Amino acid sequence: MNTLIAIGAGIAVVTGIGAGIGIGIATGKACEGIARQPEAEGKIQKNLILGCALAEATAIYGFVIALMIIVMLQ
Amino acid sequence: MNLAEELIEELNCEVVFTLHVGSIEIPVMESVVVTWIVMGILILLSVFLTTGLRTQNISKKQACAEFIYEKLTSMVGGMLGEEAKQYSGYLITVLLYIGLSNIIGLIGFKSPTKDLNVTIALAVMSIILVEGAGIYQHGVRKWLKNFTKPVAIVTPFNILDVFTRPLSLCMRLFGNVLGAFVIMELLKIVCPPVIPAIFSVYFDLFDGLLQAYVFVFLTSLYIKEAVE
Repeated sequence: MNTLIAIGAGIAVVTGIGAGIGIGIATGKACEGIARQPEAEGKIQKNLILGCALAEATAIYGFVIALMIIVMLQ
Repeated sequence: MNLAEELIEELNCEVVFTLHVGSIEIPVMESVVVTWIVMGILILLSVFLTTGLRTQNISKKQACAEFIYEKLTSMVGGMLGEEAKQYSGYLITVLLYIGLSNIIGLIGFKSPTKDLNVTIALAVMSIILVEGAGIYQHGVRKWLKNFTKPVAIVTPFNILDVFTRPLSLCMRLFGNVLGAFVIMELLKIVCPPVIPAIFSVYFDLFDGLLQAYVFVFLTSLYIKEAVE
């Protein structure tokens, strides 16, 4: 039973892949934008932080679910 | 298994003491008491900074207070935009509260934001403010009509938004604070002496303040959208 719980929690944390790819793409594009227009850095940074927070949320949901699987099912 | 027990212990919020009002018993949770401490710190700080204000020949203390106020108002006011500027007071308060309660874990208290009830309360307050701002700005009829914009077919999603927004707000804050805490605990077990202190700067200080900023940013974005 414990092994199954561990596997389930592990699968839930796989959501991190999506967040990683999303934040990577967002940061890459932000760098391109800043390189092209250095004067827009402030605005780009603000939107980047917002986008990263939104993308990161999926990973956080996965983490919360994994933690709940471990804590509730034991 | 030691870690799992410790995690469960951290997830459970303990009852510190029970208030007796007549025959009703009100359990007072740990997060409430820590919230009182956060409130106390903020109130004392603001009373200390705002005593003896003058218009000319200002003291260093007053300059500091003015600097903090200017920075915070311009930051939150910039996020809210011209039309919704009157809500910046509430958002600054939330920013200070979440920021301080995220980093109060550094001095040994249990962060109130690690309790799911606190973040749910904050998110519900936010969504009430967002919808209230929409009603105040447009009136009930136009507010209801705004649900069918831009096309009528998105109405169910717009209604769903009212429930998913606070859910994602509270889960994001809770998950981030708890995640940072769990990673710090693991680090403390794996390599005890120096390395956790370095990571603590990121996970406790930077991440805690960033999450407060993100919470306020998203709320202000929703308000801005609602009053448009």
